[in-house]
Order: sequence, then C-alpha cells, then structure tokens
Amino acid sequence: MDFASEDNEEQAAFRKVVREWMQTKIPNGMEHTIDTGDLTLEQYQLRRELGRRLGAQGWLYPTMPKKYGGGELPVENVVILHEEIGRVGFSIPPYYDAGGRMAAPTILVWGSEEHKDRFLPPICKGLVRTWQLLTEPGAGSDLAGVKTTARRDGNDYVLNGQKVYVGSSHGADFSWTVVVTDPDAKRHENLSWFMIPMDLPGITVTPLDLLTAGGEGGTGSGVKNTVFFDDVRVPAENLVGGENNGWKVATTHLEVEHGGAGRFGDRAIINEFIEFCKESHNGHAIVDSQESREKIVDLYIESQVTRLFAMRNYWMAYTDQPRSYEGSQYSLRRKLSGLDISEKMFDIVGPYALIKDEKWAPLKNALELFQREGITALHPGATTDIQRVIMARRIGIGRREVEKAGKIR
Amino acid sequence: MDLSLNETQLLIKEMTSDFVRNDCDKDTLLDLDLLPAPMTDDLWRKIAELGWMGMMIPEEYGGTGNSYTDVAVLYEELGRGPVPGPMFASGVLSASIILEAGTASQKKDWLPELATGTRVFVTAITEAQYGWTERHVQMIAVAKGSDYNLSGVKLFVQDAANATDLLVAARVDGEVALFRIDAKASGVSIRPLDGFISGTTEIIFDNVAVSGADRLNDGWDAFERAAQPAIPILCAYKAGACGAIFDLSVEYSRERQQFGQPIGRFQRVQDHIIHIVNYLDSARWTTYEALWKLDAGMDAASCVHTAKVVSSDSYLRACDFGHEVHAGIGVVREYGLTLHTKMSRTLFHHLGAPTHHRKALERALNLIPA
Repeated sequence: MDFASEDNEEQAAFRKVVREWMQTKIPNGMEHTIDTGDLTLEQYQLRRELGRRLGAQGWLYPTMPKKYGGGELPVENVVILHEEIGRVGFSIPPYYDAGGRMAAPTILVWGSEEHKDRFLPPICKGLVRTWQLLTEPGAGSDLAGVKTTARRDGNDYVLNGQKVYVGSSHGADFSWTVVVTDPDAKRHENLSWFMIPMDLPGITVTPLDLLTAGGEGGTGSGVKNTVFFDDVRVPAENLVGGENNGWKVATTHLEVEHGGAGRFGDRAIINEFIEFCKESHNGHAIVDSQESREKIVDLYIESQVTRLFAMRNYWMAYTDQPRSYEGSQYSLRRKLSGLDISEKMFDIVGPYALIKDEKWAPLKNALELFQREGITALHPGATTDIQRVIMARRIGIGRREVEKAGKIR
Repeated sequence: MDLSLNETQLLIKEMTSDFVRNDCDKDTLLDLDLLPAPMTDDLWRKIAELGWMGMMIPEEYGGTGNSYTDVAVLYEELGRGPVPGPMFASGVLSASIILEAGTASQKKDWLPELATGTRVFVTAITEAQYGWTERHVQMIAVAKGSDYNLSGVKLFVQDAANATDLLVAARVDGEVALFRIDAKASGVSIRPLDGFISGTTEIIFDNVAVSGADRLNDGWDAFERAAQPAIPILCAYKAGACGAIFDLSVEYSRERQQFGQPIGRFQRVQDHIIHIVNYLDSARWTTYEALWKLDAGMDAASCVHTAKVVSSDSYLRACDFGHEVHAGIGVVREYGLTLHTKMSRTLFHHLGAPTHHRKALERALNLIPA
C-alpha cells in the first residue's frame, strides 16, 4: 500500500511546476477569509479569477476529461495539486461551486454529447459558477417528494416552485435543479434535471439568515438562499438525462454529495488548534494541563480516522474501485466527528471558542466559526440518519438484495 | 497512492483465508478454546510448513523477509477466526526483538529454528504491577560471574504455554536487560490462567540459571523499537476479527425473523451493525497507514499509537454491538461469537491498552516538552 507516496521523478517535476505556478498566479490581494460569510464581492472576484487561471490549466477540475476542459490527471498529480494549494491556504475550487463537484460528474454520466459539449467546458474552465437546487420546504430528506414543477410548453418548460438552502453569496450563473415533470406519474418516475441560466425572468433569490452557511461541500458558501421560480421559461434542451428519468440521474449526484468521491487532507483547523494549544499565553500553555492533553489526543485520533476515510474514498472513486457504503460512511463520520471535535475544542479553550473578537478570539475567529459549523454541517447532503439508512441498504442489513452505489465516472 | 493489496499480499490473503476455512473451522476453534494452551501439534506443523513463522525474518536467517504489510495481511485473516496460538508471540514480537536486540550469533542460532517453527519464542515483559512501560519491569537478574540468576513472576504473558524459549525482561544493575531462557529450564513454571481470557499465562522463575551467552545485546529501547512494527500487525489481527463479527452480524440480521420480518429491517438493529463496520474500517485504515509508514522507513510513532488505540477499542466495541444484534444466541458458546468477545478482551491490553498509547501520543505529538 502507498498512502501518499514520495514523488517519483515525473511527480516531483509536476510539483515544482505547480508550486511555481501558485507563487505567480494567485491574484494579488487575495486574502484568507476564515468565515466565508465575510467574503466581500472583491475577494470573491479574485477567487473567481484564480478559478479561471486554474481552469485554463485544466487544474480546476483536474479529474475531468481534457476534452471538456478538465485535466484528466492521474490521482497522484491531483493529490499534489490539492497539497500545493493547501500549502498556501486555499483549496480547489477556490470558491463554492456545486457545478464542478456535483453537476459535472452527473452530466458526464447522464448527459447527451451535446450537453457535455455545452455545459462542461465553462464549468471546468471556471467561466461559470453553478449552484445546486434540490431541497424544498417540504422535501429535505425525502428528496423524491419535491413539488417544484416544470410543465412542457412548446420548446420550453415552464417552472414554478420554491427551493431552499441554496447556493452562496454573490450569485451564480447556472442552477442545477431537480423538479417534477410529470405530476401524475408514480414517485421516482416523475422527476427531471435542468441546467438553468440564473438570468432568466421569473427567478428571485432571497438570502436566508442561518447559523452558518458552511456545509460539507468543500469551500464554504457564505450565505444560503431561497430561490423562487415564477413561470420561468427554460429551453427544453436544458433538460439533462431524460424526461422523468431524474431519480436515476440523482443516484450519481447524490453519490458524490454523500461523500462517494472523498476528499484530501486534514481539516486545517486541527493542526492549527494543536499548535495553538502548545503556544504560551501569559506564561501558560493549554498543553500544560493533563486533562487538556488527553482531550487534544482524542480529537487528534478522531480527525485521523476521518481523514483516512476521506482519502480511501478519493482513491476508490478515481481508480474505479467497486464502492458500496463508503460514501455515506465517510459523510456520517465527518459530520459526527466534526461536531465532536468542535465540542472538545470548546471544552479545552472555554468561552474563547465562542467569540468573534479582534482582541480576545483565538485563531482569528476560526474556533467560533467551527463551533457553528459543527452543528450546521449535520444536515447538508443528507442527515446522519439518512446516511445510516443508505449504509444499511448498501451493506444489505436485513436483506439479501444489496443497493448499488451510484455511478460517478 | 495505492490503497490496494499487491499481488503477493493477495496471495497471502487467499492462502490464509483457505487455511482458516479448512483447518480452523468453528468446531476446531471451539475445541482449541477448551485447551489450556490453545494450539495442537498437528495444527502447529501445518502453520510451520506454510512458512508463516519466517515471514518477518530476513533470508540470511532462514526467513522470507516479507514487508510488515505482507505479515499484517496474514494476521488480518487469522484474526477472522480468531485463530489462537503463539504465531504472533513467536513469529512477530519475539522475531522482531531478536532482530533488534540479539547478537550476531544469537540471531544465527535462534532465528532459523524460529522461522521453521521448530522453536517457539514467547516474550515475557509484564508483571504483577501490570503495565507496558519500562518502570513496570521490576524483576531482577543477579549477575553470577558471566552468568545470571533470575527469580520472580511474569504475569499475563500471552501464549507462553506452547513456548520452547522465553525472552524475559529483567533488571541488571537497575537497567532493563533481555534474556533467553529455556521454557523447560529448571525453576521455570508456566501456568495457564483460566477465565474470560485466552492463552494467557503466569510464569514463575525460581532461581533460574541463565548463561551470559543468552543475554541479548540491548534492553528496553530495543524492545520498544521491536514493538513498533509488531503493534500494527497485532492491530491487523483485530481488524480482521472486526470483519468477521461484521459478516456474522449482517448474516444474522437477514436470517433472524422477529415480528414477522428479518431483524435487520429495524433501524435500531441496523445502527448496531453500522457501528461495527465503522469500527472495522477505523481499525483497518489506521493500521495499514502505520504499516505503510514503517515499510517506507518513515517516522510512524503517532500512526502506531493511533492504530493501537483505535483497534483495541474497535475490537472490544465491535463485539459489544455484535452481542446487541445477536442477543441470546450470541452468548451460546457453540455459536462462536464469544470466541471473539473473549479474544477482544484478551488482546485489549496486550502491548499497551488505549490509555497507554494515548499517553504515548501526547509525546509523539509533542504536547509534552521533550
């Protein structure tokens, strides 16, 4: 086995190229915003600029095929990319984008050639930012119960309904949306997916006031919104994966969202926190206390197991290993260990973990944000209960027929 | 990056899995469980013939010089049994100690016979003041010219009832030293301990004469270095065991009907099994990361300690949740689950309990000033 090999000659050369690239191509003035709720429009635009520059190299979505603007890189080189951008404090993609993470793999599996040619290159090159629109006020865990409708009218579909917990601050170019196309059909046989330009008439976006917008989907999103569709006319060619075939298409989207694609690296906050605990403040370091050291060790172990599950899933996804329950297992673990770790940090540092304050807050308010995120991250992508249900079906607990993992490549 | 087993490892896995299925079926394991020393001559001969005792040992001493990960794949499959016996004690821990601490002539004299299974080496560290740190070794070896004389008690020594040779930690002028002693030497008595425990013994040394030629070169530091690769191999055994408990529980959740349906249809029962698979994978991946670091010659301390904390906890808790799933049948001896339950307790403290390794992690993470 090889968990993160030493670079061979070719990889070392690639790392050198990436490192030099990062030094010169990260836009001047780009700051490390701890809480993406505080991400200014100017900072967002700098991140988009970095996204376009990465996209031009095929590095924004490095596992996607080259013909659609991806990098088609082997998994080792993808690791190097993640490591090198992580070293300078950013991530790939450098902003919230459900387009490349979830819509693109789904379109790759279910889209027509025309869909792939039209939708994928702008996503992979960072020219557009895409939100996903799944949840509705009446359809959370029960996604198949969505009520937003798309009625065929000539060459268009006309959309009406409401989606919640959507997107980010600073808007999007497209929304990747699941809606009802046959209100009379049976459950699971009535849904379709659309790629919808956000500048169509009849779309209204209203920000929600939430504990945090942070979720599982990678880079924090800033805010979440409610999106209303009032007689929005969407061209029929933007329906992806076949009319009323949407539940099958959803298996790919949800597999990625449920953690099937894994991710790289530790939560940065773990190491930052441990280093913080070693530092002396007013002649006293947190690690001077035996009780604190024991809790630090516990949260370290928690984080290691979660990191390994994530790494395993990434490797499985991008080397086409057969997958079963692993996506949901990782997601469940990440949610529960995130909350557990945040509470151990709270226990160790006390009310300092609760303040956003220039004078007193440790780690530039990162602990305060993590206290809120630990809770908010329990639901996105599927609740812990739903993740357990999926695991049970994939394992075949109490049944011989075993549910298959969604195709993600 | 490659998290798959290589071809050699797949072969080892298949061969061991065949062995466990054909030679160590449940009835055999239940019979072994009744023996004070859970191994038979017949089974040991087969194990020796398969070459397993020589896997950790370099070719120059008659072994096959496999990687730690190779060896761990073997023990992961043996854990599925769980196959008891002195394989780990001799082929892994003692072999590793001799390689780390033995003199050139000791290696040449002992390792080839250890590798063929002709001799069975068992290491005795712990005493009545039980623990796995240096200060817990209190037994004294009195120098007599160039030889030594040992008296005292070693307690909770794993699998010593089958040993031909003992590696014993004892203090000479305050420093911990390691000695080889014939298990049948005059003054040595080995007594299996009965209870909710498997293969564990008390060894009494009553004025035992030891030749100076049987003192190993190094002491406690060498033991700790030797334990580094041995620990994750023991962890692999526990991960394999978790896998067997998982399979058993999933199968039972399909077969067992209550309230007119398989019990696995109830989400409460599902949750128990999800705990088991989470323990299984936590143990497995922390273990193999540690082994990879050791094989690659990297600093593996924090990974080794993490793996031992996680796998000791995991095996114990996987059994507990297995019992929640199985209810009554789970505690019927002949069903077989309790072989694991007993083994999970037996191995929990072996080479250091989670508390011990959490403490070690405080040092490995530099939370305590050096």
